[in-house]
Amino acid sequence: MIIAARKLTKYFEIKGVKNAFIRAVDDVDIEIKEGEIVGLVGESGSGKSTLGRLLIRLIDPTSGEILYNIPDDELEEYDIALENNDEKAAKKIADKYSITRLKGEDLRRFRRNVGIVFQDPYSSLDPRWKIEDIIAEPIIETKAMKPEEAKKRVEELLDEVELPREFKNRFPHELSGGQRQRVALARGIATFPKLVILDEPTSALDVSVQAEILELLRSLRKKYNMAMLFITHNISVVSYMSDRIFVMYAGKIMEKGYKNDVIKDPQHPYTIALISAVPQIKRTMQRIILKGDPPNLLNLPKGCRFHPRCPVALPVCGWTANELKPTLEFLIETKYFTEFPNVSIEIKGERELIVNNADPEKLRQVVNAEKENARVLLSIKEIASNGNSSIIRLHEYKTPKLYKLSNSREVYCLLFDPTIKERFKQP
Amino acid sequence: MMENRKHDSSPIVKIENLHLHYYTRRGIYKALNGVNLEIRRGEVLGVAGESGCGKSTLGRAIMGIIPRNAAIVEGKILVDGVDYLKPLREYFKKAKKFKPTKNQDLLKKVNEEMSKIRGQKISMVFQEPMTTLNPLLTVGYQISEVLFYHNPGLLASRRLARARATKEDTKNIVKILKEEGEGERLRQYLKNRNIMGLEDQIISIWRRKELHDLKKEQMILELCCEPISSMARGYLEQIEKTNSLPKFSKLPIVGRIVKRELLKEAFKKSAEFLGLLGIPDPDKVVYMYPHELSGGQRQRIVITTAMINNPNLVILDEPTSALDVTIQAQILELVKELKEKINSTYMFISHDLSVLSEVSDRIAIMYAGQVVEVGPKSAIFNSPKHPYTQMLMEAIPTIEAHELKGIKGEVPDMRNPPKGCMFYPRCPYAMPICKEKRPPLFKVGEDHYVACYLYGGEKK
Repeated sequence: MIIAARKLTKYFEIKGVKNAFIRAVDDVDIEIKEGEIVGLVGESGSGKSTLGRLLIRLIDPTSGEILYNIPDDELEEYDIALENNDEKAAKKIADKYSITRLKGEDLRRFRRNVGIVFQDPYSSLDPRWKIEDIIAEPIIETKAMKPEEAKKRVEELLDEVELPREFKNRFPHELSGGQRQRVALARGIATFPKLVILDEPTSALDVSVQAEILELLRSLRKKYNMAMLFITHNISVVSYMSDRIFVMYAGKIMEKGYKNDVIKDPQHPYTIALISAVPQIKRTMQRIILKGDPPNLLNLPKGCRFHPRCPVALPVCGWTANELKPTLEFLIETKYFTEFPNVSIEIKGERELIVNNADPEKLRQVVNAEKENARVLLSIKEIASNGNSSIIRLHEYKTPKLYKLSNSREVYCLLFDPTIKERFKQP
Repeated sequence: MMENRKHDSSPIVKIENLHLHYYTRRGIYKALNGVNLEIRRGEVLGVAGESGCGKSTLGRAIMGIIPRNAAIVEGKILVDGVDYLKPLREYFKKAKKFKPTKNQDLLKKVNEEMSKIRGQKISMVFQEPMTTLNPLLTVGYQISEVLFYHNPGLLASRRLARARATKEDTKNIVKILKEEGEGERLRQYLKNRNIMGLEDQIISIWRRKELHDLKKEQMILELCCEPISSMARGYLEQIEKTNSLPKFSKLPIVGRIVKRELLKEAFKKSAEFLGLLGIPDPDKVVYMYPHELSGGQRQRIVITTAMINNPNLVILDEPTSALDVTIQAQILELVKELKEKINSTYMFISHDLSVLSEVSDRIAIMYAGQVVEVGPKSAIFNSPKHPYTQMLMEAIPTIEAHELKGIKGEVPDMRNPPKGCMFYPRCPYAMPICKEKRPPLFKVGEDHYVACYLYGGEKK
């Protein structure tokens, strides 16, 4: 593996507020092989850019380990050590390959081996620098070559990205968007990196230019056998470019696997909806419209982060009393107000609600009738009577993990948990 | 009005040989170079093209919202047969040297004329939902403004109807609804009792799915006997008749009362309409500020402001480009739904052909300020004729991965465009004539036109 991350986490603090964190990346495992293009797909705010930057230490992780250039067998050993909570063995391997504690000259040496291309070619190039200086900067900064050699390398690089050599004396404003992105690309690969992070490299470009840049990226990969992490929100581009795909949602990896498996046969409900939502000229898939918006990273839903929008959510996917209350209130106020006069609902805990002045039998009927329309009602475990009121208790939720479907395929969804599957068999 | 729209077969907008140039310090930027296009009643026209091809300029020119340095060099835009930009064109013909200040004076006049139809007959949805809403005003107020200034008659009649209706009336209405639903008999009854303003209120309640029938009945029964202050009543009746706001300069207090009454009503109507668009809790949402809403919600609000007066034509300028795919899917579904519910005409501008393929009936492909191909959706996608369209299709990545081919070269410099065909420098099939003359639109199929000499003209 050229790079592997384990339990990688990044919380951004909110200044001035105590104990409030934006959980941009939360306990993520990712690995990239040598010479492989890995696609990282997700909506805006899902933490995909943060993950990309963490991997090359542009920002420091809150916790977790990033292992660079680790042989496969040692990574396996490390995984086993983590599973068995064998800190000593884990630390021994981590010390050898980890980049999270690199400093000074070591960090600089590591940075020679990685490159990054940013999204917007209009703001990622310094307008006061010549193209030559822009491209040579990483070479000189990481001391990969001497300044004189760097100049020669710039010319080579310009050839490589199919720009005329005389561009080296120009300034970014003289170039078009596509040309600028080529310059950014040349800068990204200037030090012969083994891993390049491409952070939405084509989303600011027109389709006709995008196609050319993608073609160029492919040919560069072939020539230098670089590994690439292709971060994008555009699934069609990923399906064209990558070998493997990671799907991210609200800071978590939802599904990973080989491109064809994920695109042709998505398993996670989110991936299914995401792929079906892509506009297609010749539609082949039934479109699934997700309700609502992605969650706020400050205040994430419990259990699985996707459950409030999930069309097939189970009773144990993470529903809490806070989510049930508004639904019940709404139903009682609008549809069943004749049967429940003077009802009030109190939250008694994460999994307990008290409905005052309501008959449990009637409540049960309502829940049964409305189950199909509001999945949150599924989470009701029992409705007990307590004098004049009813007590509603919810199922205990379970947080999913990545379940292995096959050697290369993992899905973060309780539907694939064998014990859960047994409990909630769906007809 | 609805019936009129259906039977009238003349196009709602007709653009004839439109040339629009921007006069900038660094030369004349030729944004539109002879656009010929018509938008037919009841259709969804998709306009596609890369950035800088003039698709947004075209949309804005139809609305008449162009900057002062934009010169109408030639050609016209007929909106329902009226040429609003005529003074600008005549000025350009007469003037020896184009002066933006002079143009601005004329633009003011054009604006005055056009504000009568903007928001009422034609309206526009802009690209960035984050910037089109005013952060200092509640979203309800921003929707209400459109109603208040363009359709005060509707608001007044809604309010008056609630004052005029008696308990007896609402009981009868519920009875009719139960027996026959929202049909002709309901309308007749409302007409006889002079409470037509109730119609949309009743229907919007009756169509809500999440409510129990009893609750709906209760809500309809409450639509009566709401007293109005005697001071405002006369004015409201006047507004209902004329559908325009009288001047209250001599009676500021009465003016304020009337205005408040109308705005309150507009908030109600806004909430009803938001409910129709599937926004949960519309009664609360109208009192929220834009920052409290997510991108998708905001775009819904913007679409609401454009649609609330049932305009004949809605121009949607990249309404989904700033949104995520799952939210984009929601908005596209909404547009399709609105197309069914409200019988309007839509012009959908987008750089993404696959988005257009989901919503449009006809598609126009633009390149460098010209329409190079226009035709029914199926013809454009199944047998694209113009080399540019063909190459564009090959450049779009799809889920089913296929080989991508970029288009070599750059979009021409619009300050100094080529003399002949705009696509000539990048075209693999270029012929000598392409360099000399700009191709007109040739007919290549049923309702399918292409601006390319490969399909007609003097071939060499």
